[in-house]
Amino acid sequence: MSAEAAIERRRTRRLTHFLAQNVGLVLALAMLVMAVVLYGAAYWIEQTALPGMFELTSTVNNTMALVLCGMGQAFVVVTRGLDLSVGGVMDLANALAAVHIKDSVGSMVGWSLAILAIGALLGLVNGLLVAVGRLQPILVTLATLSIYQGLAIRVLPQPGGSIPPVYSSVLVNPNWPTALVYVLVVALIWYAFRRSSLGVSIFALGNDEQAARANGIDTVRAQIAAFTLSGLMSAAAGLFLAATATAGDATTGNGFTLSSIVAVVLGGMNLFGGRGSGVGVIAGAFVTTMIVNILFFSNIDPLYQSFYEGLFLVIAVVLGALISRLMRRRSR
Amino acid sequence: MTGQFTRRGALGLGAAGLISAGAAGGVLLSPRLASAAPDKKFKIALSNSFIGNKWRIEMENVFKAALQMEPFKSEVEGSWFNSGNDVSKQSQQISNLIAKKVDAIVVNAASPTGLNGILTQATERGIVVVSFDNVVTAPSVLKVNTDQVAFGKQLAEFLVKKMNGKGNVIMVTGVAGTTVDEDRNKGAEAVWAQHPDIKVVNRYTGMWDSATAERNTAAILPSLPQIDGIWCQGGTDGVLKAFISAKRPLPPTAGEAENGFRKFMLGYMDHKVDGLSIGQPPFLSVISLELARRILANKYPKKDITIPFPFVTNDTVKQGETVFEKLPDSFFTDFTDAGPNATVKLCVEAATDGKACSGELNVNLPSA
Repeated sequence: MSAEAAIERRRTRRLTHFLAQNVGLVLALAMLVMAVVLYGAAYWIEQTALPGMFELTSTVNNTMALVLCGMGQAFVVVTRGLDLSVGGVMDLANALAAVHIKDSVGSMVGWSLAILAIGALLGLVNGLLVAVGRLQPILVTLATLSIYQGLAIRVLPQPGGSIPPVYSSVLVNPNWPTALVYVLVVALIWYAFRRSSLGVSIFALGNDEQAARANGIDTVRAQIAAFTLSGLMSAAAGLFLAATATAGDATTGNGFTLSSIVAVVLGGMNLFGGRGSGVGVIAGAFVTTMIVNILFFSNIDPLYQSFYEGLFLVIAVVLGALISRLMRRRSR
Repeated sequence: MTGQFTRRGALGLGAAGLISAGAAGGVLLSPRLASAAPDKKFKIALSNSFIGNKWRIEMENVFKAALQMEPFKSEVEGSWFNSGNDVSKQSQQISNLIAKKVDAIVVNAASPTGLNGILTQATERGIVVVSFDNVVTAPSVLKVNTDQVAFGKQLAEFLVKKMNGKGNVIMVTGVAGTTVDEDRNKGAEAVWAQHPDIKVVNRYTGMWDSATAERNTAAILPSLPQIDGIWCQGGTDGVLKAFISAKRPLPPTAGEAENGFRKFMLGYMDHKVDGLSIGQPPFLSVISLELARRILANKYPKKDITIPFPFVTNDTVKQGETVFEKLPDSFFTDFTDAGPNATVKLCVEAATDGKACSGELNVNLPSA
């Protein structure tokens, strides 16, 4: 056998190995590309034009909150947990922002940082209860979800308050898709996390807690950190939600608990922990928005829209699971 | 600008890059359809949040029916969308409506504030936006509604009169966090405050849904003392059925416009109730449609509209007109206004199936 052929075979093997390792991410990106193409096609048929700058801007602006809280959820899912309090943290961040952020730079920066800190603190509480209290993540966060929602209603009993226009246009500029920068930042945060020792220990914890501990990884610390990061990202999501709305409503975050899980699943993350990519989750978040767009432009009877949305999700998840199983078997 | 964004997007994320490429392509390849032909129809879209109860379905049905009747049939190209109670989704749908270059958007919002950003963008682009039922707070958006505080007050005052200002009341409230729910409760509380002998012994939500109201009432009734009055925002027939199952007498009841409640006012399931039935009219969608049409045709000023409530008591409730023996209990019987000064008159098929009624549809907006 010639040396070249051997190198060639090693190369293909390495590629299949990479695909098998990152099958979730690859599938999520493929799904997003498909969704964008479908959207473009449906849009063309309706409008005889392609989506333009306005469509791009509004899609990115409307998806930002889900990108952020999906990423937060991802940190916890990697540890083999679930954070149901995501929506509650967003509610509270949203309410605090609408009540307190005023028109001065000091207020905007100061309160944003304070709200992020509060979000991290709420996440820390979850983390402590789960890791130190040795309680089930679902039970803990289900309870704290209600508590955080209650706090949010206390801060802003009726929808109202306001967000300075400058603040909104820095976060979600209505005229230019500048929010793409934040998408990039979130992706970079993920890569930085993945390479950090914290990232390594959180992934190790999700893969096999006992093995991680045997290898000297502080699993308690890792779990607390994952929940804290989730709280931080959810608070950021709440800020973006308030900025897009230009006002506050202490209940609009509620739905994000479920949609953050949807984004994580569509993003190809393994709910049993230890596997997946945050970039896939970003793609998953955009896929959910794209599904809304596709159904809109394909003139489906609105009464059946949620039916088709669910159908889309089921097909995506089943296909994803089948393909990834197939690829893993092959790479073995 | 576009090129730069394409590059940045492609770096960050293939997806975003693709959308940008679409953006660039959109600018380069496709001249938009020429607009503003003189006899062009107005594009008016309804953006509704959740569709999970009968009221919302009727609201959409009468909207569809109106679109098939003159003058709307020849002047308006209508469409309708539901998003569920999901602010991001409704916001995204409204962005799509802007992209579709509609002339007007009629909206029943998932949040009074959550859509302000996108709706303001719509009005800045010259789109007429009319919100109704769950109205929004954005100043540039027109509001069509009934006075919900008056609703709560009127119901409470009826009970005060029937109870001679003394006794135990339960309050069955609506969907928490909505302005409608808050305003109605506020109206009732203002009346209770003036009558200290009236005691609100319990207050729970019926979610404006007969089944939920019945379930919640059944769960809570055993713990309650004698009830002398029922104040109910929605799901009234469910509350009464729970009373009957618990073998409790039916006290004077002030409630919504459910067909079942009105059947009880005439005598139903061997029980009769003394009641006041006021409805939030589902035809608010039609009034909003008409307002949008007239504004687009330059026939009406851009201003908010408050319409009076259609209501019936035991003296005025009438079979075949304001209560329907053959229709289900959860049907909302206030799909049409009645009388010489009616805001709008619709047939029952419009509400049940979204079918056109015979003749033209005249909507009497308050004089401009």
